[in-house]
Amino acid sequence: MRIRNVVQLHTVNKLQAFGWPLIIMSLSLTLVLVIGALIVNVGGAGAREGMNQGMQYSGAIFALLGPLIGFGFTAMGQYFPLALGFGLTRREFAAGTLLVFLGNALFYAVIVTIGKVIEVATGGFGLSVRFFDVVYTGLGEWWQTLIQTFLLIFMVMLVGAAITTAFHRWGQSFLWIFWIALALLILPVVAGFLLSEDFRAFAGQVGAMGWVPWMGVILGFAVVGGGTWLALVRRAQAR
Amino acid sequence: MTAIHTRGLTKRYPEVAALDGVTVRLDENRIHGLLGRNGAGKTTLMQLLTGQVFATSGEMQVLGGTPVENVEVLSQTVFIQESQKYPDTFRAVDVLRIAAGAYPNWDQAYADRLVEQYRLPTKRLIKKLSRGQLSAIGIVIGLASRAPLTFFDEPYLGLDAVARQMFFDDLLADYTAHPRTIVLSTHHIDEVANLLEHVVILDQGKVLLEADTDDLHDAAITVSGKATAVDAFLSGREVLDRKALGTLATATFTPRDGDELAAREAGLDLSPVSLQALFVHLTTANAASAAEATDIRRASDRAIV
Repeated sequence: MRIRNVVQLHTVNKLQAFGWPLIIMSLSLTLVLVIGALIVNVGGAGAREGMNQGMQYSGAIFALLGPLIGFGFTAMGQYFPLALGFGLTRREFAAGTLLVFLGNALFYAVIVTIGKVIEVATGGFGLSVRFFDVVYTGLGEWWQTLIQTFLLIFMVMLVGAAITTAFHRWGQSFLWIFWIALALLILPVVAGFLLSEDFRAFAGQVGAMGWVPWMGVILGFAVVGGGTWLALVRRAQAR
Repeated sequence: MTAIHTRGLTKRYPEVAALDGVTVRLDENRIHGLLGRNGAGKTTLMQLLTGQVFATSGEMQVLGGTPVENVEVLSQTVFIQESQKYPDTFRAVDVLRIAAGAYPNWDQAYADRLVEQYRLPTKRLIKKLSRGQLSAIGIVIGLASRAPLTFFDEPYLGLDAVARQMFFDDLLADYTAHPRTIVLSTHHIDEVANLLEHVVILDQGKVLLEADTDDLHDAAITVSGKATAVDAFLSGREVLDRKALGTLATATFTPRDGDELAAREAGLDLSPVSLQALFVHLTTANAASAAEATDIRRASDRAIV
């Protein structure tokens, strides 16, 4: 198995593989720090507390997670045809890419976790801001952030790869079915929120379920995405 | 020994049969030409032989095994295709680094020489390279990989005449030093005619002709002279093509024993047909007969209705 070649395929351009996500993350963090400094200086203690609470839901961390979501798409959309062009087998590509997904998820999960530990220890970098310590990466202990971020990144990569592989195989008709199916799932949920008190109560219960069940949900998506991807990639053809 | 052997190889897409029952046998350590008009099935055949797409039916043996998911076969195969896409964020140097790791016989010193020779800006982003520079990447990989089975699918699109000649010279020199099986698909038939030892012509997904180029030199002859003399001479002979200009005519035909002498005695000029001319004659004749068959079928359908 020429897995090393597949890993090299994904990581040969170091700036693209590691540099840009970290540079964009740093820029986003800098922006959050500037905003935090302005709010603390202008608004005082009350504003600091309110900002800290509100920033639990800040999506600034997606400056890092966003490009990683795209990684699953590019793995199949751009690297798979090239891998076949280099005479690598689908099995080798899948094994190597899975390894890269795992490595990427672990690397960035460790970065986020270190960031969170520093952020918490310094009281939000001395400004009460939140960048790493947010709901998407886990508000609990550091190890929970490590696991949650790892699972989240790994899951989105697998789902992205699965969607791209399905598009690769069935083309535009898959996208139509995918978006219609997604709309059919989302519409009843939105309708339920708007029209049904019972549904809102039920959704509240789901939202309040513990950390472990939520990790189970993410893992479930990862298993479905990964299983679909591995099943489809075995018969994927060059386009 | 046979490098490639296919039997009844077929690849159907929903709209079209890209390949239809292709049976070919390509010997190892020779340069084979894979010729055909656009959409003839050349790229599809090479994609099948390198395991990039799956056959609908038929059999294929490449270097003694099936190429599909076969590490042993694919690690000895390089496929340089005109349509190869590279990630936009890659530079040429990134592609060459991956190639160096992927091919066991990779010659880095030779690759460096080729990069310099083709003036390839290795640090520039792929998306900023010209069509010719993209082709140069493929040429460097195809030659420096020294793969026992090398496929070139229109490898010099966008290259100027000088660079194309350089490629032919490099290919021949490296092939002589390191014999291997090369399958070269191209539309520049006259430019590669002297390189090719064996030719497969595909048309509409089928094999129109498979022969050694030495044999093809005798496959057709062109005669020219007065139209009346040409027509009289062609009587009873298999004519591939005939053109008339005023009272003069030129015709290409399949010769039999003694035809050359007979043509001279009839006062006609003789010239050997080039590979490109033969290719044009064969494919246009095939298209004409296909159109005729379609017309007959339609007429027959109308009669039944």
